[in-house]
Amino acid sequence: MSVTVAIRRYNSETGGEPEWVNYTLPERDRMSVLEAFMHIYENVDPTLAFRFGCRFNKCGLCAVEVDGRPRMACFTEVKDGMKIAVLGRMPVIRDLVVDRAAFFTALRELQLYIPEQEDAGHTQIIKEPETHKKLLLCVECLACNSTCPNFEFKKNPFVGPYVFVKLAQLHFDPRNTIDRRRQAKDLGITACTQCRKCYCIHGINLHRDAIQILSA
Amino acid sequence: MLVKKTDVLVIGAGGAGIAAAVEAARGGASVIIVSKEPIGYGDTRISLGVMSTSPDPEIGDTEEQFVEDMIRGGEGLNDPALVRALVSDALEATAMFEGFGHIFGRDDEGRLARLIFPPGGHSASRAISSPGVGISMGHTMRAAAARASIDVLEETICSELLVRDGEVVGAVGLQVASGEPIAVLAKSSVIGAGGAGSLYYPHTDCMPSVVGDSYGLALNAGAELGDMEQVQFLPFGITHPPSMLGAPCGEPAMAGPLGKLMNSRGELVLENIMPMTRAQVARIIMEEIRRGGATERGGLLLDLRPNIEADGGELFVGLMKKMGGPFLDIIRRAYGEKAANLQEPWDVLPTVHYVMGGVKTDEWCRSHVPALYACGQAQGGVMGGNRLGSTSLTEIFVFGKRAGKTAALEAAQRNYADAPVAVEAVRRLEALFGAGGSERPVRLKRALQRLMWEKVGPLRDAASLEQAFREIAGIKEHAKDLRISGMKRYNCEALDAIELSHMLASAESIVVSALARTESRGAHVRSDFPERDDAHPIRNMVVRLKDGNCEVRPVEVHA
Ligand SMILES: Cc1cc2nc3c(=O)[nH]c(=O)nc-3n(C[C@H](O)[C@H](O)[C@H](O)COP(=O)(O)OP(=O)(O)OC[C@H]3O[C@@H](n4cnc5c(N)ncnc54)[C@H](O)[C@@H]3O)c2cc1C
Ligand code: SF4
Ligand code: SF4
Ligand code: FES
Repeated sequence: MSVTVAIRRYNSETGGEPEWVNYTLPERDRMSVLEAFMHIYENVDPTLAFRFGCRFNKCGLCAVEVDGRPRMACFTEVKDGMKIAVLGRMPVIRDLVVDRAAFFTALRELQLYIPEQEDAGHTQIIKEPETHKKLLLCVECLACNSTCPNFEFKKNPFVGPYVFVKLAQLHFDPRNTIDRRRQAKDLGITACTQCRKCYCIHGINLHRDAIQILSA
Repeated sequence: MLVKKTDVLVIGAGGAGIAAAVEAARGGASVIIVSKEPIGYGDTRISLGVMSTSPDPEIGDTEEQFVEDMIRGGEGLNDPALVRALVSDALEATAMFEGFGHIFGRDDEGRLARLIFPPGGHSASRAISSPGVGISMGHTMRAAAARASIDVLEETICSELLVRDGEVVGAVGLQVASGEPIAVLAKSSVIGAGGAGSLYYPHTDCMPSVVGDSYGLALNAGAELGDMEQVQFLPFGITHPPSMLGAPCGEPAMAGPLGKLMNSRGELVLENIMPMTRAQVARIIMEEIRRGGATERGGLLLDLRPNIEADGGELFVGLMKKMGGPFLDIIRRAYGEKAANLQEPWDVLPTVHYVMGGVKTDEWCRSHVPALYACGQAQGGVMGGNRLGSTSLTEIFVFGKRAGKTAALEAAQRNYADAPVAVEAVRRLEALFGAGGSERPVRLKRALQRLMWEKVGPLRDAASLEQAFREIAGIKEHAKDLRISGMKRYNCEALDAIELSHMLASAESIVVSALARTESRGAHVRSDFPERDDAHPIRNMVVRLKDGNCEVRPVEVHA
């Protein structure tokens, strides 16, 4: 039994409206959405653009929207009638590929790092809070931003759950010297409505471990 | 033509590239880092984050012992000077990476804590863990790059190094998002673009970005590669479903003291697996498969149940859950809950994990080509014929740092080349878009990857290697006749075309080295020469490009 999926296609170079295109896929044991992309790219339409990496749910590069919810393409099984689109609320380069460039700029401009440590040639005594360990599991897939009704890339790409996670990571780092709560406030975390619609596809408890911590 | 100038150009932004770029900037150099993926990705970011640090004198471990373990593991192919450098700088590298922002596993007092059980081949425990596995290293690498004053070119694939009068003077690359070429004129160029695991896709657990670009770039610039036949196969990888083929599910140690390998007929193939090396176990699996013992899924069955049924079984299960977590998650996804609870055997097949061979350098990462340096998995000679677990993360930070330091220092003595040196290479990139030939780059990539697995895999012989050599030549011909769409932005086909050229060079270097090594040593297993040749001095297989083809020459290892 073959399955058909719809993929939203778009090219920022030519602009225009995104277009839904149907693709029929061959049968395969537990075919993943990523395999579907690869099949289409290799056999049907060479111009399909998508991003991926590890194939095994580790790198976060393959996040897309499946039937309106963010998912990792590599760990999501294809089903008949599925609708697959690029992550919402993000600038799109082409098809399923969002523009990630601003998120490196955020690291730099918001100083999302600890201060340079003195190079003593040996390691320090460090007690790492458990919450820090949990927050480090964020794979930077940007899915949470795509689910926040308040996130508007064009207005300010730096104010969204992804940056809140980064700020919270640093807040819990014993070597951090910047007031990350203050920074979150300056960035406008107060505008967060606590609606809890932001959703992490990798198991980070955004509300408890990032937003509440920074809003306190 | 977009042209930038910099003292130091770093190609690749995994652990090795980031360390090189940050260190070069600390040395006062201007730095550009170019990365095919976002900054701080690569295999480093999907690793388990377990790294060897310095030997612990409190448990009687010494630097000499660490060096010995690596050379014994590498079956004598290692460059001893590189191994000594790795061991002597291990603590410095640990401290450097924590200074970037990382936190390795600690005891209750907050002191660095070495793991209780060292990975296979280590005679003492020197490995430290990362509570957030490789992903936490990713955060650290990206933070370090953001903090340092370095210029960043994300999602830009380097297609060629620029060479003038035998000296490397920069590189040309394609910015994937925009489709625009860019030329970087540099006084020193560092290759840190990782290994070539995905030359064997889908039989690999590596990132698709590491397909041998490091080796292709180096060869074409005139550099030498050493022991490229040494490709490491993790013995236990997943066989099905197809989306999970190649996913890693363990080291020999995962088998526990009583785990058994069985064939499709339920016959015992191997027991007492735990103390064996990755290469030994991978070899036995492939030999049994060749004898017709494979399951219908193509692997053998790894049965861990005897560990549970024996006395102290709960202890084993507890330990597995604690240490093998990431592997068990993979097992659960592929084979289900019962298998993840160790109550059902796993279908396993070797999967490519790492390339021990690489660019020949001295202990300060200088290649034989002036102004060209290499570090990380790109570099060869550190691991010899077999890499011990946890040593690669040490390697990338130790040699990344060394490469950055040397590249910055030596840049001060050089001048920039003039921009016209890049014109031809930029033209070659522009010509990719809308190329009207008949071959799709991705199809040729897949053909090459299949060939590497089937003919240059964990078991080779002269016939399979010679056939691979001929077929590579055929793919090379087809690669002159590519068909690529003209779309500028994020054109995956243009990316594939550039990768294909690097892959062909890397594949050829592996095949000619494998043909020349008429013995089985390290990860290189020849079914027509099943024994190690201990009658002659140990030799490295050194490859360089001559008239566009790989030429191999054996060189005795110097102690
Ligand atoms: C699943 C897995 C688990 C592992 N676990 C461990 C472990 O626990 N301990 C250990 O010691 N080792 C481990 N390893 C091995 C180790 O992770 C790698 O050997 C090491 O991280 C390689 O680092 P690198 O910086 O040399 O290359 P990578 O981290 O692979 O980085 C390569 C970089 O080069 C870029 N690049 C590639 N080609 C180009 C090009 N043409 N132009 C521009 N940029 C390019 C890539 O985008 C990337 O940024 C593991 C490997 C895998 C696959
Ligand atoms: S809780 Fe705040 S960050 Fe989360 S979705 Fe709502 S507004 Fe966005
Ligand atoms: S918090 Fe979750 S959803 Fe957001 S970027 Fe990190 S892993 Fe992705
Ligand atoms: S490809 Fe890495 S998470 Fe899906």
